[in-house]
Amino acid sequence: MSGSSRLNLFPLVTQTAFLLPILVGLIFTAAPALGYLSVAGHRGFSLDPLRTLFAHPSLPGALRSTILSGAGAASASLALALWIAATVHGTRAWRVIEFSLAPLLSLPHAAFAIGFVFLISPSGWLMRAVSPSLSGFTYPPDWITAGDPWAISLTLTMILKETPFLLLMVFSGLNRLDVKRTVWIGRSLGYHRLRIWTRLLIPQLYPMLRLPLLAVLAYSLSVVDLAYIIGPSLPPTLSVLIDRWFNDPDIAYRMVGAAGAVLLFVLTLLFIALALLAEQLIKKAAAGRLLNGRRKSPFEPLAGTGSWYMMLVLLINTTSLLVLMIWSIARVWRFPDFLPSLLVISTWTDNWGRMIEPLGVSVAAALASCAISCVLVVGCLENELTLEYAKQPSIDRRSLWIVFMPLLIPQISFLFGIQVLLVFLHLDGTWLALIWIHMVFVLPYVFLTLASAYRSYDRRYSQVGLTLSWSPLKTFARIKLPILIKPILFSLAVGFSVSIAQYLPTLYVGNGRFATITTETVSLAAGSDRRIIAVYALSQVILPLLGYAAAIAIPFMMHRNRQMMRN
Amino acid sequence: MTLFLDSVQVRFGATILFKPLTLTVAPGSIATVMGPSGCGKSTLLAAVCGTLDPGFSYTGTILLNGRKLNDIAVENRKVGILFQDDLLFPHLDVFGNMAFALPAGLRRSEQQARIIASLESAGLPGFENRDIATLSGGQKARVSLLRALLAEPEAILLDEPFSKLDEDLRSSMRSFVFDRIQRMHIPALLVTHDKADSPDGTFTELN
Repeated sequence: MSGSSRLNLFPLVTQTAFLLPILVGLIFTAAPALGYLSVAGHRGFSLDPLRTLFAHPSLPGALRSTILSGAGAASASLALALWIAATVHGTRAWRVIEFSLAPLLSLPHAAFAIGFVFLISPSGWLMRAVSPSLSGFTYPPDWITAGDPWAISLTLTMILKETPFLLLMVFSGLNRLDVKRTVWIGRSLGYHRLRIWTRLLIPQLYPMLRLPLLAVLAYSLSVVDLAYIIGPSLPPTLSVLIDRWFNDPDIAYRMVGAAGAVLLFVLTLLFIALALLAEQLIKKAAAGRLLNGRRKSPFEPLAGTGSWYMMLVLLINTTSLLVLMIWSIARVWRFPDFLPSLLVISTWTDNWGRMIEPLGVSVAAALASCAISCVLVVGCLENELTLEYAKQPSIDRRSLWIVFMPLLIPQISFLFGIQVLLVFLHLDGTWLALIWIHMVFVLPYVFLTLASAYRSYDRRYSQVGLTLSWSPLKTFARIKLPILIKPILFSLAVGFSVSIAQYLPTLYVGNGRFATITTETVSLAAGSDRRIIAVYALSQVILPLLGYAAAIAIPFMMHRNRQMMRN
Repeated sequence: MTLFLDSVQVRFGATILFKPLTLTVAPGSIATVMGPSGCGKSTLLAAVCGTLDPGFSYTGTILLNGRKLNDIAVENRKVGILFQDDLLFPHLDVFGNMAFALPAGLRRSEQQARIIASLESAGLPGFENRDIATLSGGQKARVSLLRALLAEPEAILLDEPFSKLDEDLRSSMRSFVFDRIQRMHIPALLVTHDKADSPDGTFTELN
């Protein structure tokens, strides 16, 4: 019993270490919005920040692009992921998707967005491909593609990144359903594949997609780094506006920023509520049709398009990466040349010295936050399984919401408050604070990717160890850990890539003292030389790739003579 | 209504799974195919149903009432299937599961009448609003068969449908299934590794 009560500490520590500061961060962000900011000498209650915010000329436009891109990207990504799954599942192309998801997801958002800009901008690779032969342009046209005022390019960028993520969630959800035989039964009862998906599989799948979808929604509504790279500029999205106000030399603007952060938080809650409401409405509306016995689907002629969408997603991701590679070694690349006229490696060698430190900071923060997160997640899961085995009520379902909390709240809505808190505690700009804030975002993903494999471990293997009178710890280290090494390392690789990609948390908590490869890349993207941007972006790509490579290579080396460990 | 398999043989790439199989199944009768696990019994059913996985292919002819099934889409074959697991849809109740199999265009009251009659005939009166999770193994197995038959298939395939049931339940389920199939007057193809599953003790070996 003492062992399990010590395990009890893990969920407790995990929840207080993450939930409490987020709540405090929200409160410390909300206080300045209501006129309280002691560093600026404001100690009374006032609605002025809110008034200034709502009177600001940029607000309507910012709200428009935030809502269009946020809600648009989330709903389009869900629709695309389900459409691809429904039309491609069970065919050979499904295997291709399965293999391509991990590399697709390892490509950091910022690097992809930069590559995408290099692809679609008026002087980008697409335009070069048709110029001057087809388009007749010898100079880049005066068009607005990347960074358009309607935030279409930003929305597209997010769709291209979030569709693979939701597809991965569809994959892990499908693993828990007997898809093959459900489709078989459905078809033998006369139903078309698409009908089987809408009537049998999606209703069972959706509860497992709900949280990831809401996380995508909150992320799309509040993303900052992507909005800087490819979002509209006059006015920008609300999140960018808030970030600018928070960094305004005029300290009074912090309070307007705080008011904006509260508005974004409320907006996100509102859209989460709308998504949940829409789910209920669709469920109600579908209930009547679910059993009407119609076998054919009007969308049957379009069923072939699913694999084309997926190929398009793959193609855009690869060409974005490719155009980054070409720019990184280009010396002279005039418009409308399809390829550079002169190639050099000096952009790499000239910038290498400046990149070593940010790369080091990135790796150190990522390794530390992943290692601690992994220990906490394993501890929480052990506790959950011990409770379950002892038939004690387990809180796993509800704790999932708690773990997900940091992903459902806009980062910028609590980071400012956390910054205030850290300054107050004299912890701002410390490694401790940096690693901790990275863990806030790393831990949910480690939990998400590890939980199902960890829960399905056959505990009888460990019981064999215990009957040999090994200690529980030795049994864990010698039996359970090696058997689960593959999912553990994979979850670490996911956490590693999440940490590498963090932009806003690094800036706010690091208080400008930490430059990572991601913060450097995003700040360069604003208007540097394309060749240098490309070198930085590719360096950002390499780190998570190394993480995934290690996650594949280490178990392979460990178990190279063990056939049962290959799957 | 007759199901006729003429030298049916399934391959995975170049690997042959079993010798060519020829079988005639008369309406209302059950043909039993036996073989150890892994010999391709379920794959044979997938071939008849039309749901072979990518990479598998077969030669031979499958005829149902003179219709050549080979090139007909799965959903148009009118071939029902029953697995060892009930595969009742957990998001629907008993009524929903059975209504799913009924033809389109029925009014709610017609659906209700048919489903209630079907449940009563199987000794499950008043079960229409039950959650699947509250049914016993035997009840699930019966609802699963009723569902397959409500779609009015012209043939039914049975994939070791009794192997997961308790010993005492197994024999009553066998007679329930065989009785239903005789009454529907459709051919049935049963694959199993248990000789006792065969209604008349005869079987064809798959190897």
